[in-house]
Amino acid sequence: MNSILPFLFDLLAYTAVFVIIVLGLGVIASMMGIFNFAHGEFLLLGAYSVFFLDRAGVPPWMGMVCAPIIVGVVGLFLERFAIRRFYATPVVAMLGTYAIGLVIREAVRTALGGQFYTVVAPLDGPIMFGDLSISKWRTVVIVVTLLVLLGCWILFKKTNFGLKVRAALENPMLARASGVAVNRVYSATFAFGAALAGLAGALMVPLYPLNADMGVTFLIKAFLAVMLGGVGGLQGSVAGSTLVGSISAALPWVIKPVVADVMVFVIAIMVVKIRPDGLLSKRRS
Amino acid sequence: MSDKKHNDHLESYSRRLFAQRTSLMAGLVALGGGSYLLQPKGAWAADPIKVGIATDLTGPISWGGIPNANVAKMVIEEINKGGGLLGRPLQMILEDTATNEQLAVTKVRKLVTQDKVDVVFGGITSSMRNAIKDTIVNRGKTLYIYPQLYEGKECTPNLFCTGPSPAQQCDTFIPWLIKNGGKKFYLPSADYVWPHTLNEYAKKVIKKHGGEVIGEEYFPVDHTEYSATVNKIMTSGVNVVFNTTIPPGVGALFKQLHEAGFGKKGGRLACVYYDENALGITPANEIEGLATCLDYFSAINDPMGAKIFNNYKAQFGDKSRFCAGGGATGMWRGLMLWAEAVKEAKSVKRDAVAAALDHAKLSDGPGGGCEMVPGTRHLKMNMYIAVSKGGQYKVVESSKMVAPGECA
Repeated sequence: MNSILPFLFDLLAYTAVFVIIVLGLGVIASMMGIFNFAHGEFLLLGAYSVFFLDRAGVPPWMGMVCAPIIVGVVGLFLERFAIRRFYATPVVAMLGTYAIGLVIREAVRTALGGQFYTVVAPLDGPIMFGDLSISKWRTVVIVVTLLVLLGCWILFKKTNFGLKVRAALENPMLARASGVAVNRVYSATFAFGAALAGLAGALMVPLYPLNADMGVTFLIKAFLAVMLGGVGGLQGSVAGSTLVGSISAALPWVIKPVVADVMVFVIAIMVVKIRPDGLLSKRRS
Repeated sequence: MSDKKHNDHLESYSRRLFAQRTSLMAGLVALGGGSYLLQPKGAWAADPIKVGIATDLTGPISWGGIPNANVAKMVIEEINKGGGLLGRPLQMILEDTATNEQLAVTKVRKLVTQDKVDVVFGGITSSMRNAIKDTIVNRGKTLYIYPQLYEGKECTPNLFCTGPSPAQQCDTFIPWLIKNGGKKFYLPSADYVWPHTLNEYAKKVIKKHGGEVIGEEYFPVDHTEYSATVNKIMTSGVNVVFNTTIPPGVGALFKQLHEAGFGKKGGRLACVYYDENALGITPANEIEGLATCLDYFSAINDPMGAKIFNNYKAQFGDKSRFCAGGGATGMWRGLMLWAEAVKEAKSVKRDAVAAALDHAKLSDGPGGGCEMVPGTRHLKMNMYIAVSKGGQYKVVESSKMVAPGECA
């Protein structure tokens, strides 16, 4: 009992962090067909915004509200001037976004002097239940992730904007002919995906030290989660990231961490072999 | 997405486009991959002595590389101000190895074959040293000085190490940890050569002094989730966590240990590379009581160390300070020892300088003086044990002229 509860909490907390990282990537990949290799750097920008505002005297919770907005605006700008040119060529898009990511990463590295920094969480320290200690900030991350998931579901399934996004995804020509400003929808979707990455970065910076490579660490596993979930829907990304996140957090409890890292990929490849169209896919007719 | 959907963006490959792209490529090639030349100031009658610095100015190890390059620039300018060496000025040729071993080999080959430098300083990680040493020492027939603390066992001729060895970092530190922490050790480590080899040595010292290793675990270098390990540490009555995981993951490990109450229950954190720059990785209260053992702390407040620290701060600011954990002190000692050796040898020829360097000594430096142990190409130096209190280090024990115990 004494080790089951912290195990479950840590599993849930890590999975929540991971889901929120993958969500933005999944939105852009599934809605627009762009594999955004700069996603890790959007995350980094979110974390850096919180750090920068924190050093400028803005309280961290305020920074965390601002970070997604700042990164969303950066995303909007990048979509308008760079990403838009890549829609026709997904492979070039990967290279292009990788280059953008590299520029952002090295710029932040220069700004930080290559050092590592921390931001104290607005809610710091543990809550104690007898012998069991629960991290306050990890609890906040779990709650925010659930709220964001709910928000995304409402946005894409219940609103007019969501309908337009799905129409533009399904058939851009027909959507355009029906009076949907497809380009604008794409801009907004990309900015939204970027803002989610910014939020993920902001929530993570009290947990993992800020440094230029913080986004890269998660990027490969995040792509794995998107592929596992299947490109084409948001639920897929959520399912994929839940699976990859919980396996990554659970395996080191039973086997060597170095082996666990490889096993995550082995398990994922097996799942892709069994369900090549993604975890939740209903084969398209 | 298929091409059909977005064919309005497809462009034909025109002559103009070709010209644009070719000129862009040419521009990028002309900019080169980060090579900097620091010309000596003033009028000199003689040709300069060329000093090659190859270090990681970009990429994940730039936290160590940037201060290394800064120290080199500072020392070389000082030597030039004092009249240079043998009446000749020093010219610094700085190459960014970008935390990339393949690229680094090309860069040091340029230093030794094209620039024909008289000595090469640099490398932070052991994998970097291993990648570039052959090009410098064997094929390039050039002297190589490696500044960073490392796992030992580097006994290549003409390769001098000016950072602390495992013996210097463990021999006094581990008995101190047993006395001021307890006998039960846990060794969470990153999975690469330095932690593996250092742990081998540390385990011997722990056993010799009556301690016990409860667990030793290796993580991928970019690992960020340590809940399983933290749980093992908390349930097995561990007294000392002797950590060799590296940033950024180390921040997550220390935070999780803090939140699980490791420090509150009297546990002691120990980490031998944790210098003043590393104190920023986590909030101060999470690493209260963390102990480390290095060759220099600004808290020692020795006159020479303080002078170097303040000079450095005046020139390069506060962003990456002059500390021991990333090889900056080793770079200072290396350059000064080499300068002494050149003066004694009255030449920059490799064999003559290496022979003089073999018994070179400095009467003062950051943390005190140092001297080569003849025949081993490693330094005797002062070592200090420090404990973090409220985000600052407090020196609690110092040992004079500790032997490196390498290549004997």
